[in-house]
Amino acid sequence: MSCVRILTVATAALALAGCVSGTIEEVREAATSMGSDDYLVVLGKRPRPMNSETELNFISCVSENVGGGSDALNVIDEQAFMDAMFPWFEPRTAPVKTDDLPELMGQPLLSERLEEIGLKYLVWVEGSTERTDSEGSLTCSVAATGAGCFGFLTWENDSSYETTIWDVRTSRVVGRISSDAIGTSYMPAVVLPIPLIARVKSSACSSLAAQLKSFIQSDA
Amino acid sequence: MREPHSRLDAYENAVNSHDMNKRVPILDQKFVTTGTKRALLVALTTSMIGCSGAQVEVPAEFPVPLTTKLPVTMGLVLDETLTSYQHIEELESGGDWSIDLGSAQVPMFINLAEGMFQTYRVIEDREPPFTGVSAVLHPKIGDLQFTTPQQTRSGYFEVWIRYEFELFDKQGTSLGNWDMTAYGKAHEQNSGTSAALQRAALNACRDAMAFFTLRFESTPVVKTWLDGRRRGAT
Repeated sequence: MSCVRILTVATAALALAGCVSGTIEEVREAATSMGSDDYLVVLGKRPRPMNSETELNFISCVSENVGGGSDALNVIDEQAFMDAMFPWFEPRTAPVKTDDLPELMGQPLLSERLEEIGLKYLVWVEGSTERTDSEGSLTCSVAATGAGCFGFLTWENDSSYETTIWDVRTSRVVGRISSDAIGTSYMPAVVLPIPLIARVKSSACSSLAAQLKSFIQSDA
Repeated sequence: MREPHSRLDAYENAVNSHDMNKRVPILDQKFVTTGTKRALLVALTTSMIGCSGAQVEVPAEFPVPLTTKLPVTMGLVLDETLTSYQHIEELESGGDWSIDLGSAQVPMFINLAEGMFQTYRVIEDREPPFTGVSAVLHPKIGDLQFTTPQQTRSGYFEVWIRYEFELFDKQGTSLGNWDMTAYGKAHEQNSGTSAALQRAALNACRDAMAFFTLRFESTPVVKTWLDGRRRGAT
């Protein structure tokens, strides 16, 4: 009986999800591999005042996905890494290009700390998920006899993220992966509003993390 | 342990482009007429019903800077104007806001001193001469400003803190002072109103620590003092 219930809930959840389509592109510039003692960190780009920054929950999502599953890689938490390397990866001080790395690594305290951590790859993530379009209207009213909604809403979310992978030990960019996803959500309402949500950001996160794992592990 | 000045300068210029003497002029643009201003204000106020501001305290969670320690014993004066600093503001666009920055200042400066100086001592008795220290640093918060996502329409809380520092020698003579503006931001979507404001303020404190770590030695007042010590040692 409980099986039937689970199946019904799963079918309903699938039916209630909006559609998401995505593309992943990868450019390799050097061979990659990770030993059992090597770690990577996923960092969000945090540029100057007023510029947009990558969502914190997207960074933690990619980090968790790369560090989980059967082919998990060793991942250091972003905040733990920033604290351990403080103040060299703060928005004011973080290296903006690989050319800045040798100078940072030239500082004995920093290179010792990186050695201690076992960091091999820095993965910079840039981008965001934005609502690009919305249409329709929905009205809800409450009366003595009851309450209800009527109308139809639709909106489109667009995720666009680009990652750059730095090899800390060679101070080189080893590759780039971009993940784009677009999805339309719907909310028809006849008395009760029924949200059909397209999980665009979540889809971009899981596909980017999967690609990142395969990129790092294949040394082609 | 110094990072390239061009990069640091670019960031500094961006942070300093915020004039601490001006308020955020979102309703002062020329194309907005008085009638429109009123309508805009009413619309903004209406849209903000339920948004009654926030009261936040900056958490005392600071790392120790990873840098070469200066071979000095620094005295720190962390007086009540610093440790009880609170910014309270009622915004026209909505709500009462309060940021308690003071309670985080002792752990912040202790960690900063721990990472930057060979040894340090918190000065309780402010009467000179100061014994057992090379010099005494007296930090103060000169000003704090913040903007809400509703004001900037960017989705971000932004916080600027202007710190004022004064350096004294052992005899209590002032060697000079300098200002430093720190900046932090946090997106409302990431954590909600209170948590985002708290995070923006915490990020501003971390930025102050980073800026202080990188620029302390090259600050003219400090440079003159350190050069004098080196000359005295040779």
